[in-house]
Amino acid sequence: MEGIEKMMVLCKFFLHGACLKGEHCEFSHDWRDQPNNICTFYQKGICSYGSRCRYDHVKASHPQKHSSTSSNSYQQSTLVSTPVAPGTPRTRSYIPELSAHSKPFYPVVRPSWNEVPDTSYIPDREYHQSLSLADQPICAFAAAGKCPHGEKCSHIHGDLCASCGKHCLHPYRPDEREEHIQMCQKNQMRLEALRRSQEIECSVCLERVLSKPTPAERKFGLLSECDHPFCISCIRNWRNNSPMSGMDVNSVLRACPICRKLSYFVIPSVIWYSTKEEKQEIIDSYKSKLSSIDCRYFDFGQGTCPFGTSCFYKHAYRDGTLEEVRLRHLGAEDGNTVIAKDIRLSDFFRILHL
Amino acid sequence: MLDVSRVQKELVEIDRDKRISGVSITLHGDDISHLSGTISGPIETPYEGGTFQIDIQLPASYPFEPPKMQFLTKVWHPNISSQNGAICLDILKDQWSPALTLKTALLSLQALLSSPAPDDPQDAVVAQQYNQDYPTFVSTARYWTETFAKRSSLGIEEKVQKLVEMGFPESQVRTALETCGGDENLALEKLC
Repeated sequence: MEGIEKMMVLCKFFLHGACLKGEHCEFSHDWRDQPNNICTFYQKGICSYGSRCRYDHVKASHPQKHSSTSSNSYQQSTLVSTPVAPGTPRTRSYIPELSAHSKPFYPVVRPSWNEVPDTSYIPDREYHQSLSLADQPICAFAAAGKCPHGEKCSHIHGDLCASCGKHCLHPYRPDEREEHIQMCQKNQMRLEALRRSQEIECSVCLERVLSKPTPAERKFGLLSECDHPFCISCIRNWRNNSPMSGMDVNSVLRACPICRKLSYFVIPSVIWYSTKEEKQEIIDSYKSKLSSIDCRYFDFGQGTCPFGTSCFYKHAYRDGTLEEVRLRHLGAEDGNTVIAKDIRLSDFFRILHL
Repeated sequence: MLDVSRVQKELVEIDRDKRISGVSITLHGDDISHLSGTISGPIETPYEGGTFQIDIQLPASYPFEPPKMQFLTKVWHPNISSQNGAICLDILKDQWSPALTLKTALLSLQALLSSPAPDDPQDAVVAQQYNQDYPTFVSTARYWTETFAKRSSLGIEEKVQKLVEMGFPESQVRTALETCGGDENLALEKLC
């Protein structure tokens, strides 16, 4: 049972094209399966990544406000009596991942004035029914895939989400439903895009980019100005090629090998896009990632970066202040305005031949 | 290192539609970096009906560097040397792109045969003739095609005999003919 369960969860590493275990992986390498993308920290209560977390912030249930100190012993007993053996390794199975830290899923069901805690693991139905429907949590087990209590479960079982196939839509919380459906659809689109990306061949090595032998090679190199697919190693190889005699760097090497359109930079991506917006999203996230890394040419103000203000990396001084972007505009001879590069007094003297 | 898997893929692709494209490639033994290509002369040109052999050397950094191509068959064309078959074509030099393949390069050579560029010549004599006396150029080119680019209808034994009669030893004639794929003109050049 558990074996089947775990094999139906799509491997996260495979999803990013980087599973090293291959056939021996205990997770599924079948695109039809869904990844387990639920954030366990959020389930437990708090996820320090907040909205930046790469995992889904699904609220299977939420802690009750009536929680009290006497509840601890009670919760312990519920934990032990859950149908999952406590010794089950957490990393290998799906359900225990949620239940082993299930404080919020097993909210205090008995007020503290109720002296003797019930040893039954099925929480008190009446207490829940005293709450308004929207305040009642939905069953975490059902949300994760399968509830062992079935019909007898005291929690509300969520509605089936068409995208992820789990009973995780709260029937009485429209906002949460909407949020989940949107997130699920986005995930679905990403999976779809990844599936499509599998077929795409690099126009230089003529191989499928995501089927290349090493994980580092299984990446696309997107060109900013056109939509021709290459693998990152091929396009970088070509652009870094030492120009042959008469070969112009800008018109030949920096151009797309297919359409010869000039692109100033290459964006690595594990996924191939199908719309302009998707491409822009990939470019934006790449740029924002680079802008958080300190530029090693700038070296906290001690060096000079050849890319100047166009550099994608972070130009910040040691005290954290960012480099001031100052562009000097000069009137060129033909009447147009140009942006001046670094102006050095030494250059001026050199021209004078002193 | 030469990207062997790409070259193999290209060879399969060329082989698949060689009937339609009019270009083909054969291997020289085990060395995949040395190939020889064949293109047919484009119709309505002085090269029509001819079959032209091209020697192809792949540099180690192929496809990031262009393949080295040279005509083995003698051609009378402003952009091809009448002496050694050297080709003047931008995509084989500074306009090469790794998205180009052996097939597209051979097709470009075919296109070059149908539209010469005498203002950027490889062979000055031919280019001059092309510009100043076009009818003579056409007849010379046609004559060269007839003489060097057409497989004669003679059988292999007749070819051997013909060459032996010219005064070459039979064993040498046979090996020369074999290496040139039965082309007696190429074999004759080898023997000389």
